[in-house]
Amino acid sequence: MLACVPVRARAEAGEPPRAPILRARLNSDLVSSDPGTRRDENTDGVLLHIVEGLVGSREDGSVGPMLASRWSISPDGRVYTFALRPEVVFHNGAPLTAAEVVWSLQRYLKPETRWRCLEVFGSHGIARVLAVKATDAHTVEVTLDRAAPMFLTTLARADCGATAILHPDSVRADGSWIAPIGTGPFQLGEWRHNQFVQLKRFPRYAALPGPRDGNIGGKHALVDELRFLVIPDTSAARAALVRGSLDVIDNLYPAELMGIRGRQDLQFQSVPILDCYTLLMQTRDPVLRDVRIRTAIALTIDATALTKAITRGTGTANNSPIPAASPFHRAAEAQLRTVDVEKARQILKASGYDGRPIQLITSRRDPQMFDAAVVIQAMAARAGVNLQIDTLDWPAHLARYTTGDYQLMVESFSPRLDPTLSFGLFIGDKRQEPRKTWDTPRARELLDEATRTADPARRQTIFDQLSLDFLEEVPAVVLFNSARLSVVRAAVTGHQNWMSAQPRLWGVGLR
Amino acid sequence: MLGYIFKRLLSTLPTLLLVSVGVFFLIRLIPGDPALVLLGEGADAASLAGVRADLGLDRPLPVQFLAWLEHAVRGDLGRSIVSGEPVSGLILEHFAVTAVVVLVAVTLATLIAVTAGLVAAWRQDSAIDIAVIGAATVVLALPSFWLGLLLLLLFGVKLGWLPFIGYVPFSESAVQAALFLVLPVVTLTITESGVLTRMMRASCLDVLQLDYVTHARAKGLSEATVLIRHVFPNAFAPTLTLVGLTLGHLLGGVAVIETVFTLPGLGRLMVDSVLSRDYPVVQGCLLFTAVVYVVVNLLVDLCYPIFDPRVTAR
Repeated sequence: MLACVPVRARAEAGEPPRAPILRARLNSDLVSSDPGTRRDENTDGVLLHIVEGLVGSREDGSVGPMLASRWSISPDGRVYTFALRPEVVFHNGAPLTAAEVVWSLQRYLKPETRWRCLEVFGSHGIARVLAVKATDAHTVEVTLDRAAPMFLTTLARADCGATAILHPDSVRADGSWIAPIGTGPFQLGEWRHNQFVQLKRFPRYAALPGPRDGNIGGKHALVDELRFLVIPDTSAARAALVRGSLDVIDNLYPAELMGIRGRQDLQFQSVPILDCYTLLMQTRDPVLRDVRIRTAIALTIDATALTKAITRGTGTANNSPIPAASPFHRAAEAQLRTVDVEKARQILKASGYDGRPIQLITSRRDPQMFDAAVVIQAMAARAGVNLQIDTLDWPAHLARYTTGDYQLMVESFSPRLDPTLSFGLFIGDKRQEPRKTWDTPRARELLDEATRTADPARRQTIFDQLSLDFLEEVPAVVLFNSARLSVVRAAVTGHQNWMSAQPRLWGVGLR
Repeated sequence: MLGYIFKRLLSTLPTLLLVSVGVFFLIRLIPGDPALVLLGEGADAASLAGVRADLGLDRPLPVQFLAWLEHAVRGDLGRSIVSGEPVSGLILEHFAVTAVVVLVAVTLATLIAVTAGLVAAWRQDSAIDIAVIGAATVVLALPSFWLGLLLLLLFGVKLGWLPFIGYVPFSESAVQAALFLVLPVVTLTITESGVLTRMMRASCLDVLQLDYVTHARAKGLSEATVLIRHVFPNAFAPTLTLVGLTLGHLLGGVAVIETVFTLPGLGRLMVDSVLSRDYPVVQGCLLFTAVVYVVVNLLVDLCYPIFDPRVTAR
């Protein structure tokens, strides 16, 4: 009876009743609580419940207002003026003002912060930030050295921590990190390493009106507490869900649905996302520098069959770096390479390939990466390509990717909301960034033009051209885009993933 | 006795130094960069270099080793690269969980093994003996993760009797903590009892054939007295050695069981640290494990005279 009182009081006040605790699974612990610095996907996803940036991503991947109610861009495209929402307060009760925005942005621009996206604003990035200043208590002006249509998109990136605006009390006097004091619908409670991360509802949160939209709109906390439980073993997590010790398992692989699919007490959800599974090719390798050999390997890969087998029908075969769920995925991007094993054999013969082993690196961190390597090996063998699979643990795999020390590598990339970021995964100067596979002047020029172009039609033309060139020059073979698979208990309401593949537990409640 | 203990502890110093050198350099031979793991795919070269400098990983390896050793000698094992927490605190926190599970499980497994082994040897070739040998063989063949998952499904999911995800420290709730530990303890007890039972049975069979046992029986002593007073103390010494070795390696972490039951134990800490190339934590854990191994075996050696008076601590 006593427990019912607060719920009734809220219901009478017109506020939806809240459940006490919603429990979701994390397959590994957070790397840090400092947004956009020491990070991985889990870290980004959890922290975006706590912090917010000036702008954020809408449901369709475009940029929308978050802490800034509006912004204007100077005619030369160099000066961005943001008007802040006056009703926003930080978790420590302090109001959001231009001072905190200036402090946060300047902190990110200091090398010692180790902000992941600092290089985007370096000499080889989209633009350099010349000044960040407050023009009044609720207006901030950012001046760039040149026009950069990708500026707002970069600020909104999840891997940049959404360029979160933090209260200066988040750090000590010497600048070392304490904990995030943000403006999100939840605030950080207890973080017990390798056990759980507890987020508490922020009662003074000022949500943007309207329905849930990407990571900006309709962010209502419907539970008093969010608890992300670190459960590395999927079998244990599934058992916990069935038993009721867990409410949400997000980001499952298709094979992991075995044994629970079809249960009446669980809800299943599959949402196409903007990730990308790829076969990378080292174009400086003595064997693979020959485009004919790369083309022959590509001709053996039946992306449709591979996708169906590996994702159990949940993924989408795609040969373009622009994911199938992206609004920029048009006719040019939808072209799938036709499998032609006989032609591959002829090309290999003409190239003089003598059947020498080609190393294919993969990892078991993501089971779909390993499965893809096995299927590719079998498909390539039909044309006489001798692929030898080498399975590495994740840190070793990551090191080989970063240094470009491989011949072939199966790699999965997390969602990129803008096509320039998708192509940016491949295009670049190998001397500076050995991880890049596509290092031709034309590709670099087209990507550079796309980052400098605001006109949507022109951008689409560039992306179409890049997609066609990508098929022709084969610096990599994009295989498929996966779906984010979630299972939640029947009592969970309002759970809906979106194409960015972040967990999104605002607007989610319990019956 | 104190002199013996001191000498034994002193003799472990070269071992610990060798372990330190081995662990420090071997973990660095494994490909992978902690800075890269921290910053993630796509990190730029300047940030990577900056993080490496922050972590002191840009210095020559011998310099890094000497600095680490100097601090380790003073009890400071450094800070975790990933979480920034002091390594010694992390180890003790995680070891407490592992120690409870392992000590309870090994005690139970020893009790089961001693009883079953003694009875099986006493009734050699009988149905009881065959049943004990069969059960021990099956248990030996069971992978611990499979058994853990099976128990988890049965008692956690189907019957709903026990919690199986997470952990509550004893300081928060002793009852809850005990409930969370039942399944891991039972799993470990079952998997470890097999080999101990077989060892106990084999030792008892040897002892039962000795003349003094025949003499004891000829004196008219009851079978229970013969077994408990004359067979058990002499047969237990080899099993005790095995118990010590088992304790030593299990206290170093039972990563599989800790992963299945999401226990924040030392094994999981070590596996997670290896996977994130958290060098200070890996080094600290392995050094700590070596110390535990040495101490446990010393304690076992000191227990020998209790069971076998012929052995004295000299």
